[in-house]
Amino acid sequence: MANGGVATAEKVERRAVGPAAAAEAGAGDPSWLRARREEAWALYEAMPMPSTRSEEWRYTDVGRLLDFDGLAVAQAPGGGPGRRSGLASEEALASEEAPVSHVGAATGLPAELRDAMAQDREGAGRVVDVDGCVVLAELDGELARRGVVLASLRDAARQGLEGVESLLATEAVPASDGKFPALNAALWSDGVFLRVPRGVSLDLPVRLARWVSSAGTAAFTRILVVAEEGSRVSFVDEILSPDMDGTALAGTTVEIFARGGAQVQYVSLQRMGRGGAYLAQQRTLAERDATLDTLNVALGGSVGRVDLNARLLGSGANSDMLGLYFGDGDQHFDFNTSQDHVAPNAHSDLLYKGALDGDSRGVFRGIIRVHEGAQQTDAYQTNRNLLMSERAVATSLPNLEIEADDVRCSHGATVGQLDAEALFYLMSRGIGRRRAERLVVLGFLGEVLSRLPMGGVVEKVTKAIEAKLRHG
Amino acid sequence: MPQNEVIQGLDLDDYKFGFVTDSEPVFRTRPGLDSDIVRQISARKDEPEWMLKRRLKALDIYESKPMPDWGGDLSELEDTLSETYFYVKPQEKMERSWDDVPENIKQTFERLGIPEAERKILAGVGAQYDSEMVYHSLKEEWESKGVIFDSIEDGLKNHPELFRKHFGTVIPAADNKFAALNSAVWSGGSFVYIPPGVHLETPLQAYFRVNQERLGQFERTLIIAGEGSRAHYIEGCTAPVYSSDSFHSGVIEIVVGRDAFFRYTTIQNWSTNMYNLVTQRALVQQGGHMEWLDGNLGSKLTMKYPSCYLMGEGAHGEILSIAYAGDGQHQDTGGKVIHVAPNTSSSIVSKSISKGTGRASYRGLCKVYDGASNAKSNVECDALLINETSRTDTFPYIEIDERSASVGHEATVSKVGDEQLFYLMSRGMDEAEAMALIVRGFIEPIAKELPLEYAVELNRLIELEMEGSVG
Repeated sequence: MANGGVATAEKVERRAVGPAAAAEAGAGDPSWLRARREEAWALYEAMPMPSTRSEEWRYTDVGRLLDFDGLAVAQAPGGGPGRRSGLASEEALASEEAPVSHVGAATGLPAELRDAMAQDREGAGRVVDVDGCVVLAELDGELARRGVVLASLRDAARQGLEGVESLLATEAVPASDGKFPALNAALWSDGVFLRVPRGVSLDLPVRLARWVSSAGTAAFTRILVVAEEGSRVSFVDEILSPDMDGTALAGTTVEIFARGGAQVQYVSLQRMGRGGAYLAQQRTLAERDATLDTLNVALGGSVGRVDLNARLLGSGANSDMLGLYFGDGDQHFDFNTSQDHVAPNAHSDLLYKGALDGDSRGVFRGIIRVHEGAQQTDAYQTNRNLLMSERAVATSLPNLEIEADDVRCSHGATVGQLDAEALFYLMSRGIGRRRAERLVVLGFLGEVLSRLPMGGVVEKVTKAIEAKLRHG
Repeated sequence: MPQNEVIQGLDLDDYKFGFVTDSEPVFRTRPGLDSDIVRQISARKDEPEWMLKRRLKALDIYESKPMPDWGGDLSELEDTLSETYFYVKPQEKMERSWDDVPENIKQTFERLGIPEAERKILAGVGAQYDSEMVYHSLKEEWESKGVIFDSIEDGLKNHPELFRKHFGTVIPAADNKFAALNSAVWSGGSFVYIPPGVHLETPLQAYFRVNQERLGQFERTLIIAGEGSRAHYIEGCTAPVYSSDSFHSGVIEIVVGRDAFFRYTTIQNWSTNMYNLVTQRALVQQGGHMEWLDGNLGSKLTMKYPSCYLMGEGAHGEILSIAYAGDGQHQDTGGKVIHVAPNTSSSIVSKSISKGTGRASYRGLCKVYDGASNAKSNVECDALLINETSRTDTFPYIEIDERSASVGHEATVSKVGDEQLFYLMSRGMDEAEAMALIVRGFIEPIAKELPLEYAVELNRLIELEMEGSVG
């Protein structure tokens, strides 16, 4: 393994989400980045907190659900834990005594995170992020020699790696996009920079394992992926936390560029514990003949909101957009997706499926926008919801905005309960009611996973759903 | 009579209703709106105090609510409204016989084919000219069975208790900005009561005509369909083409009693300088059945979402919506179904056609409240795009709080296929004919629900609009 390193024990300070944290956030950064952060903070302060009066936040009262004033950002003196010493070995990672000392993880990586990582199959590279700070980034040595870059985003910015200054919070998710994009652009502690050179294929996924340690924490992470022409890469972003009595925020901004003919898969597995609040902005830009597929899985946390915008910028571009959510207790999941067909002759296909139990609430708001001149667009959007309890609530808003005439677009949305016939069939085969219900739910959600077969992901998500079904 | 002859007999121009009638109103308020104008309207109508109070309160609500920032472009509406006449009284009193209607107004409606239609197919006719109903009549047969079909003003005067019991209960002033505006300045519209068990075999029709330039027309209709009754109400709307914009904002309240059946049909063919912002809602009681058949062909901008509140067990609501958006037009239409009670069902079918720079938007809501067990709802939207510059949107809201509900929504957008055209042309049709046939086939599921005259007119309009759209 090359590029590997685990942060040394370093004193981390926590500052309330506010001007002091903003002022400290850019310490040690190059001047262009400090300027961007300042501008972003000014935008954040100038923009009002989204209210349910605005269309995009109608069903998620984020100001009420999240007490931003009560949250503190983990910041290392001198700007993040960017300084590393020593290489991480597999043994060290697996051990309780790993040389990782960090907020809430003084004796090494938490067991839940180690378990999750142990379930993963092989990877091309691995990054570990604790409370928004990268503690490990390692990449297969052969890939490093072929020019693949996998680095802490903070390091990449400081070292002036090609593509960071030009693509970070510019074309994809600029701070001006909204209150939370601005907040992230101002306060992000660290994240991932992944660049795959022209023509290079990664057969195994790159994995990011994230941990949010405790209530009161605000962790801000950014992910920047650039797949050059004809390259191929998949990226799995998994986040966990303990069950908490208060709220911890994981703010995540994801920017993905697929250049001509590149093939990129991005998978987000949100498996935080109780009290977790996940707020993500994801934007994918697919150029000519590129394939840029995404999968968002939401199983954990108390509140999850994902804004995903897929932009099809070149002819022949293709995006499959998959989503799966399974809520119970008082979980609240909100997905706000958009498919922007800017170029003609591109294809996008979205399928989001959710099962909602207990008092949970699922919100899906999706829009297909076919811009003027985007002829021969094929764009589809489907949202299906399963209500498993009397108190669960599903809201679905599948929208179309079409400004070209030679298109094929459709959308569909359904809300219903467990298929009585399927249940009856299983029970007539001697399967008990509870188990039959679990099987039907698994089958319902499994359709999403079957569309993006990726090593380890299907098994891991299936296991997590099964565990939730057992506890429900 | 073969259909072709019927069509030719109609002799339609592109917009044949664009003529102006030279008529002097007997009274009109000065342009613009304030509490003084509201008082003048109320005084002219000799209203009880409670109604004036309601109007003034509604004016406050209107002024306190912001302009909607969704739907169509309303940025020029404030300017339009500041120059709008909110009340124009065309004649001293409403007539019961066409012979007594002033000649020029009568001619207007004759050119629109109204008296003829009355003789042929209708149970009753109301005609509104600018701000007042100028004519209202009901066939004796129905009058003797206790049916009331009157101007809304006479409804208030002659049936004060029934009126007060229901007025503003289906659509309160605070419902939305334009419902508030209507509640402040309403004038004209119908008051309809169908007694329990009465089946009206032929439709009632109200015809709305705007003649005055820069007029705001605010008709208000209240319909009460008694238990087990059946009726069909049709409204048609036209206006001259002026250089300045006009404004129409109606409020239609309907109470559908137990096991009653009510159908409300609108063929909106306002001139393309009209803002048309309408609130239409029906409360449907146990076992009741409500149908909205909503055709929007005219206007500059229409924002209208007929709704069914399914309040009683087994109530059913249906909305059939057809929108045609030609050059410069925006039809922001759709429907809402609100399931409050168990075993309620609903369906929305929307078809839209966008041509030239036209924009057709479907906006709809399906809401199932907790406790509305086994509610079923299905929504289907199809949009057809004719030109490269045409635009369509679909904005459905689906909010489900009830586990046993079953709700589906589907929408498709397509253009007229080259293959479809080729097939028909290979059978000897020219391109324009083939296009018209495809478009007619597209709207057929809705057109067939219309009374014949309207279906024929709709098809003919579509055919004319399609002319020159190919190649």
